Amino acid sequence: MRIDETHRKWFIGSLAALLVAAAIYVPYSRNTPQGANGGTAAGLTYGSIASALMLFAGLLGARKKVPIWRVGRAQAWMRGHLWLGFLSFPLILFHSGFHFGVGLTNALMWLFVVVLVSGIVGAILQHCMPRLTTQRIPLETIYEQIGSVRLQLVAEAEVVVEEASSALAGSVSQATEQQRAAAASAGTMGGLTVASGLQVDEGASAQLQEFFRREMQPYIAQGGANGKALADRNQSQAMFQQLRLLLPPTLHSAVDDLENICEEKRELDQQTQYHRILHAWLLVHIPASYALLLLGAVHAVMALRY
Amino acid sequence: MARRVRTTKNLAQRMDLQYFKQPHPFRTWRLWLSIVVPVIAVGWFAAERASSQKILSSGPLSTAHAVLGKKCDVCHVTTLGVFRAKVSDDACLKCHDAPAHHSDKVTFTVSCGFCHVEHEGSLRLANTDDASCTQCHADLRTRSGNPQYVRVVRDFDKEHPEFAALRPGMRDPGEIKLNHYAHLRPTLAGPAGPVQMDCQDCHRLALTDVSWPYAAPQPTSRSTSQSASQSMSPGVTADTGGDSKHTHSHDYMLPILYVDQCAGCHVKDLQFDKRFDEAAPHDKPEVVQAFLIQKYSEYFEAHPGALSEAVAPERILPGSMKLPLPVPHSRQEWMDQQVMLADRLLFDKGCKLCHVMLAGNGPLPMVAKSSIPARWFLHAEFDHDCHRLLTCTACHDRTPESRETADILLPGITSCRNCHEDSGPRHDAASGRCSECHSYHDWTKERPTKGKFTIPQLRAGK
Repeated sequence: MRIDETHRKWFIGSLAALLVAAAIYVPYSRNTPQGANGGTAAGLTYGSIASALMLFAGLLGARKKVPIWRVGRAQAWMRGHLWLGFLSFPLILFHSGFHFGVGLTNALMWLFVVVLVSGIVGAILQHCMPRLTTQRIPLETIYEQIGSVRLQLVAEAEVVVEEASSALAGSVSQATEQQRAAAASAGTMGGLTVASGLQVDEGASAQLQEFFRREMQPYIAQGGANGKALADRNQSQAMFQQLRLLLPPTLHSAVDDLENICEEKRELDQQTQYHRILHAWLLVHIPASYALLLLGAVHAVMALRY
Repeated sequence: MARRVRTTKNLAQRMDLQYFKQPHPFRTWRLWLSIVVPVIAVGWFAAERASSQKILSSGPLSTAHAVLGKKCDVCHVTTLGVFRAKVSDDACLKCHDAPAHHSDKVTFTVSCGFCHVEHEGSLRLANTDDASCTQCHADLRTRSGNPQYVRVVRDFDKEHPEFAALRPGMRDPGEIKLNHYAHLRPTLAGPAGPVQMDCQDCHRLALTDVSWPYAAPQPTSRSTSQSASQSMSPGVTADTGGDSKHTHSHDYMLPILYVDQCAGCHVKDLQFDKRFDEAAPHDKPEVVQAFLIQKYSEYFEAHPGALSEAVAPERILPGSMKLPLPVPHSRQEWMDQQVMLADRLLFDKGCKLCHVMLAGNGPLPMVAKSSIPARWFLHAEFDHDCHRLLTCTACHDRTPESRETADILLPGITSCRNCHEDSGPRHDAASGRCSECHSYHDWTKERPTKGKFTIPQLRAGK
């Protein structure tokens, strides 16, 4: 979620609430003989409000699980999660009198720090990364579909290689329309003299298939670079340039297709990396939040009971 | 390389629309972590809770109570087997049985924990917050309705009254004639020539064992009340009026003793007859009188021609007796005359140099009580040792010019405010908290407590 003008009301509201809470805290802290702490009426009030805000922030997960709930727009919930969750931290500091305590309270405070920091990191990433992803990965797909798309790319590449190999092997019937049309002309392409019509070149066919089998297919079929030369854009360009020299110009469009497929694979890999960066914080934020809510409830029960 | 055209339709068609139903490593990890982490957190709490109550602690203990860190129920008394967060006063009184502050006068008494807040780290629990005091002293009310102290004291910086001893109309109650100005002059006559005295030559802290620099204490005659004269000058107020714990510390100046501080120079003022090397004892007139009778009696026995000895002119104090002196004809007449001459010299001159002499019930005068306050702050404490980096006159600035005993040389509150501020260490200043000088409890009335725990009871779970 981008933090833009639509957050202004939430920001101002949260800031105002923080200022009011701080304005109350200063005289409360100064005039309380034993210093501000969670056991006073004001301390309990701060703690209760902060707990309510934390609970609301935690309900975002439930809201996402049941999107058909008519309890406000998801974006409003997200903004509330962001700002009210952020506001709950200073309120908890007011509740505790800026002490981290020991034992359970200490664990709670550090859990809260983890939740807060991971949340801030997440908010920054969610603000910046989507735009970066859109700019750098034009063919971005659904993250969970990347494996499936990779297999489709392999299938597409196999078809391209099969058609080109067939043409090189003399099986015109299996050549594409484009290849057959090109066969009717002759001349120069790219400074090279090309022969008229499709010429049978079984050696080139074998080399193309060898390249596909040894380099391209393993690279596309699996996620990540896996030490393959095709993962590097410069090396990939050099390899495909050599392939163009090997193949007649009529098959250069097939080489372009193969190169495009490799480029798309590289983008998918990059998307995978971005996705991990964009969502890894959730592996910290969500479990820590649940632990915080659970131990917070224990703390509330213990504090009120004793 | 020409880029292949991928239409939105192309891209959409390659999607598996049921993808969200399939397991995915990221979602799987998130799910499991969301279960495992809270379970570990609650498990940790349960395990800690089973072994001790420390998990419920709100903060580290003060240094003095750190030894109880593993035995919460020493203070958090278990009632009917239930651990309680609130500490009752009874738990504190097990070890600290001090009476409350003016409990007979104030309208309410707070619990121990109200002022002494534990679990705040290594703090001195006695350093209570000012608000503990100002909750009453900001507008003091007593059962009688008329507090004997200043009604409104909110802070040290602005609303603390001047010290009681320095308020208008107050004077030093001391009856010892002492001229500080004269004693601090550079030309003061010492036993072996001029001396320049320093404050610390006479005013010393307890346990200081430094001999007087100008002359060794003179051997003066000691008699039956020797112990009394040794402990203090007659009439010095011995009661420090405060915490008995501090009377043996370096907090307060020791009372000035004639034997230690004065005799070095002033022993000559107790010389009563050149025929004796010994000076009269610094003691009550009755003791002095008995000493003189004994001395002259011994002299008469040792000198059969004493009756015919002429009286030395320096022994006759003009105006104090009829002249010429009659000639003694018997031992008794001689004794009476010698003792009378010595009495006049001592009681009308030597003693009067420093003491106020009053008419007694009999023939002998009485020495007025010296009444030197050993402590000027009767409701506050002061630690001279903590201020040792300062010169004496940095605070007692009127002392070098003081000529009268009645001058109160106690520094005023303005002097303290030069260094002490309410904000204290936060503003690079000495603390101005109430507890810096005032003690809530009257520790002179502390009741003895008996130990109630064994070492295992305190250290179990170590």
